[in-house]
Amino acid sequence: MRSLGRFYLIAVLVFLYTPILVMMAMGFNASPLYELPFSFSTRWYEALWNNSILLTAGMNSIVIAVITAVVATALGTMASVALSRGAFRGKSFLQIMLLPPIAIPWLITGTAMLIFFYWTGIGRGMHAIIIGHVALAIPYVVLVVGTGFRTIRADLEEAAMSLGSTPIHAFFSVTLPLLYPSILGAALFAFAVSLDQFVISYFLATPGFTTLPVQIYSSIRKGFTPEINAISTVLLLGSMTVILIFARFAKPGDTRDKR
Amino acid sequence: MTNVNVNSVAKTYGATPVLADITTEFPEGSFTSLLGPSGSGKTTLLRIIAGFIKPDQGVVTIGSRDVTNIPVWGRNIGMMFQSYALFPHMTIAQNVAFGLERRGIKGAAARKEVDRALEMVRLPGFGNRMPKQLSGGQQQRVALARAIVIKPSVLLLDEPLSALDRRLRQEMQVELLRIQRESGLTTIFVTHDQEEALTLSDKVAILDKGRIVQMGAPETVYEKPLTRFAAEFLGDSNFLVGTVANGAVRLSDGTTVRSASPLPGNGTKVTLAVRPEKMSISAGNAEGNSLTARITTVIYAGPVLSYLLETKDGLPLKLFVQNRDGIVLKEGDSVTLNWSPEHTVCVVD
Amino acid sequence: MQNDNLTSASERGPSGPRVRRPLPSWVSTTALLMPTYGWLTLAVFLPLLTMLVFSFMAATPMGKAPIVFTLKQYRAFIDQPYLIGIAFTSLLIGFWTTFACAVLGFLAAVALARSTFGKTREMLLILILLPFWTNGLVRIFSWTMVLRENGFLDTIFHMVLPDAGSIGFLYTRYAVVVGLVHGYLPYMILTCYIALVTIDDAIIEAAASLGARWWTILFKIFVPMAAPGLISGAVLTFIPVIGSFMEPRILGGRVGVTMGTVIEDQFTQAFNWPLGASLSFTLLAVVLAIFGTFSGVLRRGTAA
Repeated sequence: MRSLGRFYLIAVLVFLYTPILVMMAMGFNASPLYELPFSFSTRWYEALWNNSILLTAGMNSIVIAVITAVVATALGTMASVALSRGAFRGKSFLQIMLLPPIAIPWLITGTAMLIFFYWTGIGRGMHAIIIGHVALAIPYVVLVVGTGFRTIRADLEEAAMSLGSTPIHAFFSVTLPLLYPSILGAALFAFAVSLDQFVISYFLATPGFTTLPVQIYSSIRKGFTPEINAISTVLLLGSMTVILIFARFAKPGDTRDKR
Repeated sequence: MTNVNVNSVAKTYGATPVLADITTEFPEGSFTSLLGPSGSGKTTLLRIIAGFIKPDQGVVTIGSRDVTNIPVWGRNIGMMFQSYALFPHMTIAQNVAFGLERRGIKGAAARKEVDRALEMVRLPGFGNRMPKQLSGGQQQRVALARAIVIKPSVLLLDEPLSALDRRLRQEMQVELLRIQRESGLTTIFVTHDQEEALTLSDKVAILDKGRIVQMGAPETVYEKPLTRFAAEFLGDSNFLVGTVANGAVRLSDGTTVRSASPLPGNGTKVTLAVRPEKMSISAGNAEGNSLTARITTVIYAGPVLSYLLETKDGLPLKLFVQNRDGIVLKEGDSVTLNWSPEHTVCVVD
Repeated sequence: MQNDNLTSASERGPSGPRVRRPLPSWVSTTALLMPTYGWLTLAVFLPLLTMLVFSFMAATPMGKAPIVFTLKQYRAFIDQPYLIGIAFTSLLIGFWTTFACAVLGFLAAVALARSTFGKTREMLLILILLPFWTNGLVRIFSWTMVLRENGFLDTIFHMVLPDAGSIGFLYTRYAVVVGLVHGYLPYMILTCYIALVTIDDAIIEAAASLGARWWTILFKIFVPMAAPGLISGAVLTFIPVIGSFMEPRILGGRVGVTMGTVIEDQFTQAFNWPLGASLSFTLLAVVLAIFGTFSGVLRRGTAA
């Protein structure tokens, strides 16, 4: 029974990774039409280097991801602190209000943002995308920091207060330092969420400003070329690295629903 | 080094009264245990004195200072927690210096105090280690150092030894007592372990359902319990129910029992308590009170033999005998129990 | 042992005779929460509200044209019956995807919880979850590499049967489902795993000692006890799937028409925002209805 289970898990992993590995491999194949036999070449990566559109889009994605990470982590941590500090009226309502950004299909949220931003003159483009990404990332930050909060025993702050700390001093000298790993993890999480985000960016992008996933999508619509494989591999490895770093800070069992 | 007074302190959560009108004094330099089952209110009382909980009514004074409206960080207390509560991201020295820093004592002066405190708890030189490198017992000693280095007015201990295993616990009890004597700190100690309460305290306060049932020196509380609860919670007791008649008590089966306690008027129903170790099996009626009973169970517990017995009327009794000669009696044996009226206490139900 | 500074400091108390009354806690709580919820209101709640308003308009408001309010967008299903077929397709795709994820995912979670231990288990969990956190677009693209004519599958197929035509898997509804399953399977595995891992070993041992074989244990213990996790995973898979448009478009081509692609079209091609808004809101209503029905289970399943 044990080995059956392990065999099944390997089958699942094969299912999950084969397409990805095939896609990555074809990025190193010389043929522009994916023809076999396989001949190793890095020409598509070189072409990538000269593809200013993709590079600009990539740069945009990274910049947006960094800004999103910083803003979402700051806002989310503050909210998490307030929500973790015991009960108050309306707390569960507020907690539920954090769910819509991740529970509602992004198609709906994205189109709604498009309508609203157009209507209010905020318009599309980088600022709009950042607004959208931060809104999506905040619930994850609150989740990660909230989980971190729960691992800190309440009596630590009490001990500090018994020794003469005011509640604020106790928070800053005891609780906050212990939260740093969670906050950092949340920032990495927000970064990855923003980097991978497609739907919202798709609706809020302009011809002059796109993010990498949106650009990849446009390229796909025009036709499959190995250059897409190359840039996809880069994006994939990038976000996987960020997530692996995050995994060092939190146990896998803690990461909850993304959608 | 001051006394602590609570006056008419009460606390209710929702519809449940957790503490009902407590008024008592903790004299300067004394070691008082708050003993009781869970839910008795002992921890609540401690936390009210500490300042974590605000009482619904009443006044708390530490020394001559009314601290009822002063939050915990202004009360100058030293507190020890069940889970040690050492700050995991600070070194031992930083932990101990925490309270000093809050009082404006830093640098060399602080270091001197920290070293002295660590020596006092027999952990010299541990300053640079981190809490997670220390064992449970060592962590608790650091917590103690941290609490006393600031020379608090009162030391409050919330079941600090419950997380330690038996041997370690006994060692820490000795340490705690020594340090308390040396420093002369007024100490209030919450525990559910009666042995601990009896061995450590100058005074024991037994709490039940939010009230102090009895408070006094360990010997007094143990030898002369005032209520059935006190007699049952602290140690074991045999209970004999009867009616007062001519200065003695008549049980339902006709036996007369004498008691050294003052008894109410004739005809009143009373409960008498006798501790199992005060009874003995010996020939003759030398001691004053006696009852015949049959042994139902023999429990061999090493240094003590416990016998469970039953009288003809079905009254259950317990007997403790020092294990000098091993198991001499067996199930089914019928014996006569003897005990003195001095050890027969009249308790309130 | 007396240190005069210390003694007097102690007697005074750490904060001195004046103890500043702390701010009422609701002030600090509000201050901490305002930025976040203000942002969310601006970015999510107001937009949703605006979309609701838009759904009642006759045409996309452009320039100086007067705004006409109407209910006709909500009659779209009646006016354009082909939409019913599309809605049905979406639900069907949603159902099959969720079903496949549930079965495959649950079994994988059981395998994880019962057949692996310690470091191996941790590593496997990370490996399984890693694809989930990567870009969905890239993953879907990867599937085209595998499913397309002369792609990976075809190549292997032709190694066995060199003269056969292409399997032609790409641009079918099956391809869409496969792509969606690939995307959501890790998440389902995670929720089921979390639910299973809380089952005390002793329960299974007790069942075995009473004579239960593996299928009894699977169906009479694992499934019922892990049901909250399974159901919440299913709900949180079904909902995004019925609103998906990337997978249907890229993997389904002309056949990949779902509510998601129709809505997307209204905003990018047809420029009929009110219709898009009303369809969106209808979809949202379905989503909220599902959440409402399963809210009890969801709360337990995600163990907030």
